[in-house]
Amino acid sequence: MIGIENTEIGFDASLFSIPEMDFDQGKVHILMGKNGIGKSALLNTLSGLIPPIEGVITFDGKALSDYTYKHLAKKIAFVRSNVKGVPFLTVDAFLLLGRYHYKTFLREHRAEDYALIEKAKDLFGIAHLAEKFTNELSSGELHLCAIAKAYVQQTDYILLDEPTSHLDYANKLKVYDLLGKMAKEHNKGIIISTHDLDLAFKFPFEFYLIESQSKKLGRVQAFKEVEKEFI
Amino acid sequence: MNSKRPNKILLVLVGISILLLALLGLHLGDVSTDSWDIYNAIFSYSDDNLSELIIREIRLPRVCIALIAGAALSIAGMLMQTLFQNPLAGPYVLGINSGASLMVAMGILSGAGFLSSELGLIGSALTGAFIFGLIILFTASFLRNQIGLLLFGVMLGSFVSAIITILELSSEAESLKAFALWSMGSLNGVTIEQLPIIFLVFVLGCIVALFIVNPLNILVLGEEECRLMGYNVQRLRLMIVFVTALFTGLITAFCGPIAFIGLAIPNLTRMLFKTQDHKLLLFANLLFGSLFLLSCDILIQLLSAVILIPINALTSLIGAPFVIYILIRKIR
Repeated sequence: MIGIENTEIGFDASLFSIPEMDFDQGKVHILMGKNGIGKSALLNTLSGLIPPIEGVITFDGKALSDYTYKHLAKKIAFVRSNVKGVPFLTVDAFLLLGRYHYKTFLREHRAEDYALIEKAKDLFGIAHLAEKFTNELSSGELHLCAIAKAYVQQTDYILLDEPTSHLDYANKLKVYDLLGKMAKEHNKGIIISTHDLDLAFKFPFEFYLIESQSKKLGRVQAFKEVEKEFI
Repeated sequence: MNSKRPNKILLVLVGISILLLALLGLHLGDVSTDSWDIYNAIFSYSDDNLSELIIREIRLPRVCIALIAGAALSIAGMLMQTLFQNPLAGPYVLGINSGASLMVAMGILSGAGFLSSELGLIGSALTGAFIFGLIILFTASFLRNQIGLLLFGVMLGSFVSAIITILELSSEAESLKAFALWSMGSLNGVTIEQLPIIFLVFVLGCIVALFIVNPLNILVLGEEECRLMGYNVQRLRLMIVFVTALFTGLITAFCGPIAFIGLAIPNLTRMLFKTQDHKLLLFANLLFGSLFLLSCDILIQLLSAVILIPINALTSLIGAPFVIYILIRKIR
């Protein structure tokens, strides 16, 4: 469980506050809010890339800042919004980078690492891209690969910053469906920021809104509650 | 993943070419020698045989430093390019050479006792390279633009050469000549006694580089990704700058500034091997860098009857067009 209490979130200065919020494992949590309200800041904070402006965040009862980088990498995967392709880096090699938290200086990758990659390629339908260089992919394909890499990382929590904004409708459905299954079947805690409001509400997810008036994060139950924020 | 075999064959071929060229390099010169002389010069040396003397005191150091300098500068370039995620980065363009040059210029031109001594020169070249490495690292932390950083490096170079020009004007003829010769770059200045320490420092740098190949593989995705996979990026950056400065400072101190190898060879190897696997790239740069500088040196010696070319001029003549080719390919 991710526990947040009396916390201010932002990159340099506080963008919004979280009086109290828990994110459980085994569920998909959908994070909504206007552009620039601080969704990315929250995900960056939860990933440990930036500290909260104020307050303490706990992962399974232990403060985020008390984890070592190595331990965090085994606990949290983060798909950032600006995934970039790299020349001469194949999709296979890219996915293998998702296993580096278990790689030490002397140890090569194991058979299970390669098996996971094969499985991820099947799940996300990117097997045909395996030998392609990542800088030659479309941004939709690249994002699918990045989500597959987060799956390969095999963490308790997966954070995704607008992962579906570059995907076509079929792939959006597929990603939400797969993430929902991963949360249920493998007891993962998944937090997604998105603007696909109507689509996300088709799934049995948990919904949260960063409200622009009060600048607070709160739970929402129905699409209607969110709708008025954007009109 | 199944393309590993041709890679290994290619590396072995390069290794064999290096051996053959090294043998050729040991034979090249005004005094003709045979293979027996080479064997004796290395394994049962006596200094009253002229052929053995020439091989051991002149040609062997020259071939060895060509191999080490080529490898060191290429590896330094590879590290810079991965650190700044910029194929046009390198110890020379980013001005790390300039740091070493500035300190060496102050040493030689001031004529101050300790600074112009051998140890003083090496020390000041290493210090200069390290300080300028940190300056570039610091600048890169807020100057995110790739071309901007390169321009900064070029400006750093201009700034330093302006200072050096001022130093040159106010120094004596003797030290001025020494500095002019040094700045042309030369593989002749190294003695057999200096080789072990150079080799040792080189191996130390290679070990550190080998130690960080894992995070380097992730660093191509960006510093945040590297951090998210559990690596301490700040430490990694410092280690990269340390190895780069160590290599650049070392080679600059002994051979003068040698341009473009650190830029051209890492690009060449990435293009040839089509990979971002830094363990493979490390060995590829080591071998290709050695091969390239040794070939340049042999070419210079073959041409020496017709025209004298300083090593820095030749590497620029070959390297600059190659870099322009990369630039055009990248921008297009």
